[in-house]
Amino acid sequence: MNKTDTQDGSKRVSRINRFFLDLHDVFLFVVRIFKEAFLPPYEFKEIVKQCFEVGVKSLPLISLTGFITGIVFVNQSRPSLSEFGAVSWLPSLIAIAIVRALAPLVTSLIAAGKVGSNIGAELGSMNVTEQIDAMEVSATNPFKFLVVSRVIATTTMIPILTVYTTMLALLGGFINIHQHEATSFQTYFTQVFNTVTFTDVFASLAKSIVFGFTIGAVGCYKGFHSSKGTEGVGKAANTSVVLSMFLIFIEELLSLQIVMALIS
Amino acid sequence: MSTGENKRSVQVGIFVFLGLVIFIVGVLFLGGQQKRFIKSIEVSAVFDDVGGLKTGNNVWFSGVKVGTVKAVKFYGKSQVEVTMNIEKEAQEYIHKDAQAEISSEGFIGNKIVVIEGGTPQLASVDDGDIIRAKAVLGTDQIMETLQENNKNLLKITTDFKGLVSKIARGKGTIGAVLTDSILAEQFKATVNHLERASQNAERMSGSLASYSNRLNTKGSLAHELVTDTTVFASIKSSANQLKQMSQSANQLVDKASQATTNVVTATNKLNQNDNALGLLLNDQKTSADLRTTLKYLESSSRKLDQNMEALQHNFLTRPFFRRQEKAEAKAKRDSLKNAGQQP
Repeated sequence: MNKTDTQDGSKRVSRINRFFLDLHDVFLFVVRIFKEAFLPPYEFKEIVKQCFEVGVKSLPLISLTGFITGIVFVNQSRPSLSEFGAVSWLPSLIAIAIVRALAPLVTSLIAAGKVGSNIGAELGSMNVTEQIDAMEVSATNPFKFLVVSRVIATTTMIPILTVYTTMLALLGGFINIHQHEATSFQTYFTQVFNTVTFTDVFASLAKSIVFGFTIGAVGCYKGFHSSKGTEGVGKAANTSVVLSMFLIFIEELLSLQIVMALIS
Repeated sequence: MSTGENKRSVQVGIFVFLGLVIFIVGVLFLGGQQKRFIKSIEVSAVFDDVGGLKTGNNVWFSGVKVGTVKAVKFYGKSQVEVTMNIEKEAQEYIHKDAQAEISSEGFIGNKIVVIEGGTPQLASVDDGDIIRAKAVLGTDQIMETLQENNKNLLKITTDFKGLVSKIARGKGTIGAVLTDSILAEQFKATVNHLERASQNAERMSGSLASYSNRLNTKGSLAHELVTDTTVFASIKSSANQLKQMSQSANQLVDKASQATTNVVTATNKLNQNDNALGLLLNDQKTSADLRTTLKYLESSSRKLDQNMEALQHNFLTRPFFRRQEKAEAKAKRDSLKNAGQQP
């Protein structure tokens, strides 16, 4: 065994150690979020402010995305269904696709890009400029003020944004279907609600809560633990987006398995 | 709290409020569609095969959704019990002998339970009742039948192919008809004849038309025959006479028939021995007696002849016979004389 091999082996061990240490840190971070969220004092003003940033400010972008998603999905599905004369099934298809998967996923991905990067960059720059340390010195709990408020905001606002996205995507789908098949508003929504079940609605809601929490927690964690310097801020913003998107897909996969198990 | 913060709070409040309103309306609408918030009764049916029916699938009655499948679970050895939530409003239309069957919303649609109402004379179903299940053909069985049909179709098309091939080669009657040039010529000639016949028929119909026109022309014989009441009366009278004649003929025939019957009766009597003629004709003894009598009569007449001969030569009767001869000769002469005088 030569010297290079020894160095590679020790690097690998240190990476694995770091991974598990990071995992431990994440676990402690999440536990602390829950703990701080339920313990007073509550930072209502900051929560409302973050809700405004996450929810209200993201609404136009996410609504437009949802609306376009509905139109595009119907347009792309029509040729396949028309091949075996099942175009009348488009409302059912779009209802299932949007309520079960597309609405929470699209909302969360857009929010991860917009809100997650914002949180990562904001907390990262605060960390770099030692504002977080300053808050601690001034007897303010920076974790509660910065992290918990943001995580609560994303966890509550993403489900509401998902509701908006669902409605607008269904509306977009209706406009397209009405234009091509002249289906009435009542027929369309009757068919939509005939197909969708309570399980679908609550699974979608539960998923969007988890996705919201993930976006907030990842953004805050990455920003809170960013390395020093301007490079660290950019890295924190970037990794918070990438990681939260990756985790959203992993959670989507897991939630699908859970919902399928519940249904069967 | 600053104005900016207030404004932000209001906006967040509106945002959250509208989101919640949309969500609640959606849930209520969904519940309404799935009949979740209305009173319902539970009815079960036991099937041999549910064909993939799942909890939450619809229950239809007369083409209207009246409930959903609440549970699907095994029953007995291999059967499946399907518990359904039926809305209270539909209860009165579903009777005790109602039948449930597994169907689907379309050819590729979700599975559903279809309930057929049953006899109106019976009471309506109650909560917890088990209604009868109707076995239906599954997709596999339908596909099997279709497969069988396909085989038959293949056989038919193969046979038809052979048939067409034979016809094309000119085999068989139809093949000969289609390929034989002589037959074709004959067919052509037949068609020509038919054409001529149709032309004749056309001419005939033209003649008939002109004849009917003439019938309608006043003053013509045909028109008079058809329309003149006097001629019609004469024809009617002639017909009546003919009728009377035929009646007379009938009577005559009846009488002839009666006469024939009498002749037959007489003939029958002649064949019997209970009358004189019948006895004469049929009885051999009588015949023999008659023959003997005739012999006697012949002998008697011969003897009478001899006697008469003798009598003519007798002196007592001779003058009588001579006078008679003279009278006869005289009458003969007179007649000859009268014949000579006539031109």
